Amino acid sequence: MATQTTAAPNGVVQWFEERVRATALFNALLHVPIPAEAKTYYLGGITLFLFMVQVATGTLLSLYYKPTPEAAYDSVKYITSIVEFGWLIRSIHHWAANGMIIFLLLHVIRIFVQGVYKYPRELIWIFGALLFAVTIGFGFTGYLLPWDQKAFWATTVGTEIAAAVPFIGESLLQLLRGGADVTDATLSRFFGMHVLVLPISLALLLAAHLTVVHQLGIANPKRPSLRPGQLPTPGIVERWKPFFPHYVLDEVIAWAILLALLVVAASVYPAGLEDKADALVTPPHVKPEWYFLAVYQLLKVVPAIGPLTARDVGILIPMLAMVVLVMLPFLDKNPEVAKRKRPVALIIAAIVLIGMGILTWYGGQIPAVAVAAS
Amino acid sequence: MKRSRTRVAFLDRAFRIGVLSACAAALALVVAQAVLAESPSPSAGASGAGASGAASGSPAASGTASSGPTLSGSPSATALATATAKPGATAPAKIDGNTCYSCHTQIGGAQHTIADQWQASVHGQNGIGCADCHGGDPTSDKITVAMDPTKGFKGVPSRQQTVGVCGTCHSNVELMRQYQIPTDQYAKYKTSVHGQKLLLSNDTKVAICTDCHGVHDVKKASDPTSKVYPLNVPALCSSCHSDPKYMDGYNIPTDQLEIYKTSVHGQALLVNKDMRAPNCASCHGSHDAQPPTSTTVVEVCGKCHTATQALYDQSRHAELVNGPKCWTCHGTHDVVKPSEARFFHPSPPQIDCGTCHNLADKTLKLNADRFKNDDDRRCDTCHHVDSLLYSQAQGIKSALDKASSAYDLALTRIAAAAEAGMIVADADVTVTQSKTSLIQARAAVHTTKLTEVASKADAAVTKAKEAQDFADARLAESQNRRQAMIIVLALIAVTILALILLRRGLDHTYEPG
Repeated sequence: MATQTTAAPNGVVQWFEERVRATALFNALLHVPIPAEAKTYYLGGITLFLFMVQVATGTLLSLYYKPTPEAAYDSVKYITSIVEFGWLIRSIHHWAANGMIIFLLLHVIRIFVQGVYKYPRELIWIFGALLFAVTIGFGFTGYLLPWDQKAFWATTVGTEIAAAVPFIGESLLQLLRGGADVTDATLSRFFGMHVLVLPISLALLLAAHLTVVHQLGIANPKRPSLRPGQLPTPGIVERWKPFFPHYVLDEVIAWAILLALLVVAASVYPAGLEDKADALVTPPHVKPEWYFLAVYQLLKVVPAIGPLTARDVGILIPMLAMVVLVMLPFLDKNPEVAKRKRPVALIIAAIVLIGMGILTWYGGQIPAVAVAAS
Repeated sequence: MKRSRTRVAFLDRAFRIGVLSACAAALALVVAQAVLAESPSPSAGASGAGASGAASGSPAASGTASSGPTLSGSPSATALATATAKPGATAPAKIDGNTCYSCHTQIGGAQHTIADQWQASVHGQNGIGCADCHGGDPTSDKITVAMDPTKGFKGVPSRQQTVGVCGTCHSNVELMRQYQIPTDQYAKYKTSVHGQKLLLSNDTKVAICTDCHGVHDVKKASDPTSKVYPLNVPALCSSCHSDPKYMDGYNIPTDQLEIYKTSVHGQALLVNKDMRAPNCASCHGSHDAQPPTSTTVVEVCGKCHTATQALYDQSRHAELVNGPKCWTCHGTHDVVKPSEARFFHPSPPQIDCGTCHNLADKTLKLNADRFKNDDDRRCDTCHHVDSLLYSQAQGIKSALDKASSAYDLALTRIAAAAEAGMIVADADVTVTQSKTSLIQARAAVHTTKLTEVASKADAAVTKAKEAQDFADARLAESQNRRQAMIIVLALIAVTILALILLRRGLDHTYEPG
């Protein structure tokens, strides 16, 4: 298979080329073939783009943000009201965070439906699952930082979910909050996690994820990858297309569309700010951020099973689901990738997704009592 | 054979003698026991004297005994003793020296319920025993001793006696100090309509202590299940006062609760469970229950509406003899939320001199008391449209209308800005200041002074406009953002178009694998 390569340039570029030898690197990174039948829908790339937006906007926000209970709220208000284009940066950060979770979820669904997590891409899947967990962590820790009523109480009920973990729940709650309640200690550690621990973790996992993707190439959803010694099916000719510039250009067009959507969202629905956090004033209807609503609602609706309390069951189910998600390539022994040959897996996934959707919707409803009170 | 008959006859005789002897011994035992029980034992006598001494020996008790109803044994005491005692029952175990509880628990039925109610009551929990109210000797497990009238047993006190029984302890300062409760209830009760009717007119239908606080199941007033808990007071009072049959002869209406439920006070207390809202006792008193009069109503309302009372005291209304009071404009049980719409009738009413003046004695003295119909509680009911005071009332209303409109407009603009996702904290703070001034302006109506109202109303208008300006600036900023967004979107669209064209060019030059 022939692929295009970038010719060595002249002039200033030549000067750097002789000292950095970047052409060979770019050739190795960009000039790789991908199956012509591959349909990624650019979901992974969009998630990567949104992460880059988050890094850029987050860095700008950190120039003004003050992570203490006394100053956090006012600094966010200052960013939003006074700082030039502060509202835009903060709103894009807000919407890109939500978008990152949505597109990551869609990316996971795409990978699952196409069955491309199977041999030899198990590690890509595992790194991806861990990236998903880190992204959720980003959303969770970042939500508290404005230190308004919504942030404070969503974090209070969000961390309560951790307390439901059997045996270590209380310790986990203390670890997350830095004490019994959501306080300045919680804000400090959430900020530290949000701007240091999680970005480094995500960068390392992303590097590992993309490195293995690069090494193995993008999968063909039409047929399973060949194992050593396995011969290709006679009569099937593998067709390829170049990653650069064709796929990259498609990806950039998708990013530009996403950027437009972010600008619209930020302009029409800018990130708001409620009253300053007050531990003594409980809002009438407290609920966590939307991506935790399914777990939050599950805790309320599941029944006790045998010696396990309803609370135990409610938290064990999502924990078990996370283990299953990470270990999926090893649990799913079916080597086929074609959808019609994997009906059970797809039906189970559909049921899980519909169930999560219903729980999320149900959890998002404001109780009738709260509506009446408000 | 003969020997055998002799043995049977001997055994028969011996059996008869044995049975007779046993019966005689048992009878002797019973008689001896009864005789011993009748003779006063030093310990039982001391205990009985101690109990009655505690009740009647205190200064407060003796002080009230002369003016209050005196307690005496009732015939029903013996009846109760004979009706409820069960001869031959096993000797009851004494519980903390209170054999009343032990016996009455064993009797079962209503007596068991009474015993249980007492044990769970605030009295039972604090060691106030049956004998403290009913007398008798609670240390004896013999019915004839425990419920002996000579040992102070009173049985069931009459309704008049009950007030004195409760008052005996509850007016004892020394005794009540440990419970941190007042001791003036009995003295107050004697001044109340209830107390007067009971003690002077011997009317036993009126409320006594146990009707409100319970008989054996007395609970703390702070207990939410207590009938005298603030949220439960309207239902308690209405249990008698809403019963037309029971209230027949007293010549007072029985629809107060229904009216109160619709009032701003009733809604706050019964619907919103706002304990600050007044219940019946807040205005009428509890132990000293009586209807407010035209001379006391301002103080009654002013207990809660302190600031408003202070403003009213500055008014011309307050200076007038028999002038308008709180209830003249606001009503009594049917107090509604005041508003600017309540100043005037939709069209000026026919003014009748008798509406505000006493025509009976031909002196035409002012007599503005209460208006039964809510529609009559308006300024122009008394102030003629051509009068100077009507113009002043119009000026007051106009100032309030202006402030109210400015405030509402500011709220609308702030809501629109918030809806657009803008941060409106500055506007919120300012509009709250406007609201404060508006509330002060509305309260200043009670001074009946135009200048007072107008100055506060002007302040409300100023702040409302300031808040509106903040909100309008946010809305303008939101508009600017959306216009800028269109330009940015156009640039992105051009970029995307260029990229698509570039991509299509690539498609033409590339042949897969």
